[in-house]
Amino acid sequence: MAPVWRIKTCGQPVPRHLVLSVLLTSSLVGTLPAQEAAVARAFELERRGKYAEAADAYRLVLLTHATDVPALLGMERSLLPLGRSADILPPVRAALALDSTLTVAHGIGVRAWAELGQLDSLKALVERWVRVEPNDDAPYREWGRAALLQRDRGAARAAYHLGRERLGRPTALAAELAQLAMLEGKYGEAAREWVHAVVDLPGYRSAAQSALGKAPAKARPEILEALNAARAPVGRELAAGLQAEWGEPLAGLQLLERNLPRGADAEVHAYRQFLEQIRAQQGDEAKQVRARILEAIAQRTAGPQNARLRLEAARSFAESGDAAAARRMLAGLAEDEAAPPDLAAGATLTLIKILAAEGKLAEAEQRLARHQDGLSGEDVANAWRDLAVRWIDAGNLDRAEAAVAHDQSVEGLAVAGKVRLFRGDLRGAFERLQAAGPFAGSREDAAERTALLALIQPIRADSLPALGQGLSALERGDTATALRALVEVAERLPLGAGGAEVYLLAGRVEAARGRTDQAERLFRLADNADALATAPAAELELARLLVGLERVDEAIELLEHLIITYSGSALVPQARRLLDAVRGAVPRT
Amino acid sequence: MKRRTFLRGTAAGLAVLSPLGRTFGVPPREAPWWLVPMDDAQTDHLKAYGVVFRLLERGGQGEWFLNYRGGAFLVPADSTTTRDAQLAGVTLEPLAERELLDIRAEIAEANMDAVPLEKAPKVAVYAPPNAPPWDDAVTMALQYAGITFEKVWDQDVLSDAIRRYDWLHLHHEDFTGQYSKFFLNYAGTAWLADMVDRNQRMMRQLGFPTVPALKRAVAQAIRAYVDQGGFLFAMCTATETIDLALASADVDIAANYADGNPMDPNASAKMDWTQALAFRDARLVLSPTVSQFSDIDGHQVNAPALRQPLGSYTLFSFSAKIDPVATMLVQNHRQVIPDFYGLTTSFTRHTLKPSLTVLAEEAGTPWVKYIHGEQGQGTWTFFGGHDPEDPQHQIGDAPTDLSLHPHSPGYRLILNNVLFPAAKKRELKT
Repeated sequence: MAPVWRIKTCGQPVPRHLVLSVLLTSSLVGTLPAQEAAVARAFELERRGKYAEAADAYRLVLLTHATDVPALLGMERSLLPLGRSADILPPVRAALALDSTLTVAHGIGVRAWAELGQLDSLKALVERWVRVEPNDDAPYREWGRAALLQRDRGAARAAYHLGRERLGRPTALAAELAQLAMLEGKYGEAAREWVHAVVDLPGYRSAAQSALGKAPAKARPEILEALNAARAPVGRELAAGLQAEWGEPLAGLQLLERNLPRGADAEVHAYRQFLEQIRAQQGDEAKQVRARILEAIAQRTAGPQNARLRLEAARSFAESGDAAAARRMLAGLAEDEAAPPDLAAGATLTLIKILAAEGKLAEAEQRLARHQDGLSGEDVANAWRDLAVRWIDAGNLDRAEAAVAHDQSVEGLAVAGKVRLFRGDLRGAFERLQAAGPFAGSREDAAERTALLALIQPIRADSLPALGQGLSALERGDTATALRALVEVAERLPLGAGGAEVYLLAGRVEAARGRTDQAERLFRLADNADALATAPAAELELARLLVGLERVDEAIELLEHLIITYSGSALVPQARRLLDAVRGAVPRT
Repeated sequence: MKRRTFLRGTAAGLAVLSPLGRTFGVPPREAPWWLVPMDDAQTDHLKAYGVVFRLLERGGQGEWFLNYRGGAFLVPADSTTTRDAQLAGVTLEPLAERELLDIRAEIAEANMDAVPLEKAPKVAVYAPPNAPPWDDAVTMALQYAGITFEKVWDQDVLSDAIRRYDWLHLHHEDFTGQYSKFFLNYAGTAWLADMVDRNQRMMRQLGFPTVPALKRAVAQAIRAYVDQGGFLFAMCTATETIDLALASADVDIAANYADGNPMDPNASAKMDWTQALAFRDARLVLSPTVSQFSDIDGHQVNAPALRQPLGSYTLFSFSAKIDPVATMLVQNHRQVIPDFYGLTTSFTRHTLKPSLTVLAEEAGTPWVKYIHGEQGQGTWTFFGGHDPEDPQHQIGDAPTDLSLHPHSPGYRLILNNVLFPAAKKRELKT
């Protein structure tokens, strides 16, 4: 055992090596760097989990520098896991004897007495602290916090209210009382206290919003009532933000607009804060609200920024489906020769998109042709492709083909390939879709192209207009026509030469429509030994269908058949995963 | 080159390249065995244990080639085993008698051994009937591998029903009866209220005065189960708290909220560590508000001032022929494995009983990760941490999907424990 020297350090023996260490440190004229070094050594001991040694090391620092705050806090931390919180009290007393205003020492003392369950001593220490700092709310805050650590909410509440009463400020310790009320499920009270807290210190605003935002749904009316009844405008601002957060952005905006602060700058500030709160929200209502806020800010903003805000508002209106409002925002912008070029271009493109969305494709084409010199090449190409897709949806394949006739990009080839496919020109479609490759458009687009290639590859004919008509109807969302055409094509094709693939596609469409009987029949037709590439896909689709119908045993049998029979298929991992899921081997996702 | 020679060479080359040729399908007539490789050639290490387990369940027999290709298994090439492995996506390699002889010769000359596996152990998982908002690594591993198990709880343990099982797993239970000290941070949550309610109802049903008293009795029954030959495996906080419960037979170590009385302030000095399985001389944390039980855990994940960062742990190597049990428990295709937190993450060296075997440690730190020991006629194994593939699992997090971690070396350690009771007893020398 290491030798111990009995020197008086708050009644505890101290190991010799630590005494030597500190004496050596002290001999270096007790400079501040030496004190810091001693604290650093103690901290290192603490970090390594040697709490007893760390506590001793901190104590030795405090022998010569009783008010050293890092050492006091470090000793408190080190004693906690040792279950020796009482040992911190002599150093606390020594520190306070030297500096009775040392807030940290008071706080440590309060926590130590609370940990020891000595409530009378705790109260005495708080009262002593209050005498030193009569206008400070820290003693009551620490008192309440210590009570909460002991899970005594009543004592915490009493401490906060006592502080509020003595300090003579009805809003003192509001944030603490708000959090306490949240813990106890008193949401109306929490809302009122949060308003006080934000009025006193605006920095609490986001904390208030965040805390109240997590309240359960059934507490929301009570919170909104309390916030709306608050005298301070911040209550309504918080209520507006919360309504938006809880999925009612329009109601939130209406509340905000009924209670806007006075002055253009204050209004813009309130709008911008609200805009931030709903920025991440999806859905048409949120987009509409965003657009309305941008419009409101634009009305209060002059100069070039005004035009940009209007353009941004127009885009949001267009995204939300409100073409009229988008047009209103864009009025004059596209033709405004004084507007910066990028702004005019943005306005033109937005207007073309609005026209296309309204089905005015010819007008959109004319506008694009008229203004394309003022747009970037990439923007022009994108706009023509968008129009081509719209023409496809409208069933006008000639106009669609014309729109991308000069586009040799992979994106253009992808669109042209679909046009050829819908015409029934399988060879032309195959060449273009294959040339488009995997990088044109989004990942979903690439997956769709691959599926189309897989569909037409086994078909030996170069041209099959009936298939094109079926796929075109499918693209337009006319599933009934599409299914009739697809099934007729499948019946005419040999199963091993495209028939199974077309049955599989038809089955998927039926499954998506919820017609499970029809889907099952078509999947079983597609599951044919003559179509080795298609059969595992058909079995997997059928298994998924059966799982959805809770015919689990049949699904398991089918999946096992797939894995064993088509062990080289790329679908085997998916089949295994589904098998795991239905057997409960992995969590369902 | 003659056309015939060219074709023959090409066919041979394709056969080598083809995964089918090396894995699935009916083995050639001269290959009556499958080798289940457990090195990097294996496509699903975790499900491989399930294939072997189900073989034993069907009354078949196999062998565990300790230290050979990551702890490979030898199974008969019957159609059921072949189909089972194929469905599970487990790699099999055909093995002719001559190749098997070569392997046996290699095993005989190196630090390897062939342990017969003859009977599937009956597996039980100690878990409350409700679903707590955290996952259990062992339950997930068993479900993923397809190993059958049953759930038991307090009434089964105290009525001796657990003696029907060969292997018992404990996970997150707090055997000190303090609900994992979740009271401070999770007060008011529905799941905690449910946990308290269930435990208190069980306490009344079984006639105990407090939940800590009930849990201590359960801990003592589990120790008796091990004494009489059971295999105990525990993870996370169950490791630490079962020993705290066992060592505190005459001491109140539960906080006021759990049993109506504060903890004995001198509890650490009064503990009887002779009753514990793995630990000794631990210092208890008396505060009910600190999410920490004792200084057994080296990482203290929920004590911000004490929390230690995660590193990696290293599995020890043992002599396969002399110490087959320890060797079985560390079979793996990785020796250094990333660490993961739990309410109890690791075990400080100074609290370990000298008689136990350390299976894995974090070199250079004051803690170890994975320990094993004997108690009476049975054995226990403690593995610190919560979920080997979710290093910082939080309450309410989604359970880990093991199909995304089929090679998990941490989960392999769990499954080693499930399978090792299947080993033929006379071979065990530890």
